[in-house]
Amino acid sequence: MKKAFVAALLILTAMPLLIGVAALPPHGDPDTPVHTHISARYLEEGREEAGADNIVTGVLLNYRGLDTAGEVTVIFTALMAGLAVLISHKKQPEGDAAYDAAEAAAEDAPVRAPVSPVVSFVVRLLAPFIALFAVYVIVNGHVTPGGGFQGGAILGALFIALTIVLGRERTRTLMPRLAQPWMQGAALLTFVGVGIVGGALTGYFLGFPADASLHLARKLMMLVLEAGIGLGGAAVFATLFLQMEAE
Amino acid sequence: MISAVDIRNAVTVVLAAVGALFFLIGTIGLVRLPDFYARTHAATKCDTVGAGSLLLALAVFNGVDVSTLKIIALAGLVLLSSPTIGHALARAAHRTGVAPWQARKGRTS
Repeated sequence: MKKAFVAALLILTAMPLLIGVAALPPHGDPDTPVHTHISARYLEEGREEAGADNIVTGVLLNYRGLDTAGEVTVIFTALMAGLAVLISHKKQPEGDAAYDAAEAAAEDAPVRAPVSPVVSFVVRLLAPFIALFAVYVIVNGHVTPGGGFQGGAILGALFIALTIVLGRERTRTLMPRLAQPWMQGAALLTFVGVGIVGGALTGYFLGFPADASLHLARKLMMLVLEAGIGLGGAAVFATLFLQMEAE
Repeated sequence: MISAVDIRNAVTVVLAAVGALFFLIGTIGLVRLPDFYARTHAATKCDTVGAGSLLLALAVFNGVDVSTLKIIALAGLVLLSSPTIGHALARAAHRTGVAPWQARKGRTS
């Protein structure tokens, strides 16, 4: 019954995707909009129109903002799936079996070595610089290569390094229990928030005001999006690491 | 007549060659050496001396510039982080009981 349900769900999900792929024009078709005018327009007017000096960021957040919102949803869903697997895996058998299992686990568990003083010193020495670099990559994403995804990865890696060196008790204060769900969903929530603001300004969800006088507003919206993606990405890394480390 | 540019180019070439050589030696060591500790020892040479000299070569070639400052900062980061990682790897291997390689008696290789 359960298997049949899963199969039906998979088929129902796969069908629209396959139909969608089948409806795409052949790869490299010169008559598609990408080859006739869209790329040229992005390159020529992207800087002014999208509000980002870095064309990639302009396309990612402005022209193709909805796609990126979907991408962020995928990352968030992956986090949920990862947590679900990790948590269900941890479920212990009950009764005598549980006792045996716990005992076996205690015997198998590797003895945790104290953190090397060298590693501890270097991580603590570099931590502020790494944090600064992460913020720079996030904030400067609309000028140079970089942005929320990359900066978030750096921030998440920093969190993991600090947790290894300082212990989870100290780094836990960086992610308070109450704020955790908001941080994990930060990227998605930011897209919804900015999307609604854009909707109020232009009438389209995630629309960016096109008027030249609103150049600063466009920049600000991008900055907020980048910050949200960065924070959300870092929180996803941190959560998965904490969950795996707790095993 | 040797100009300042010639000297700069010569220094760049020497530093880059040293960097490339260390990358080559480190990579050969990574493939050929017998155990985890020796391979770690070889691999960390790539990042410290190899990448360090290549970055210094770029800094010399670039002249006094903001980018040069960034390159030097990068070299400093590599010099700091790579030995730490090597140390952490070797320490973890030792603590979890990875035995070092020993030449067996009666065999030369």
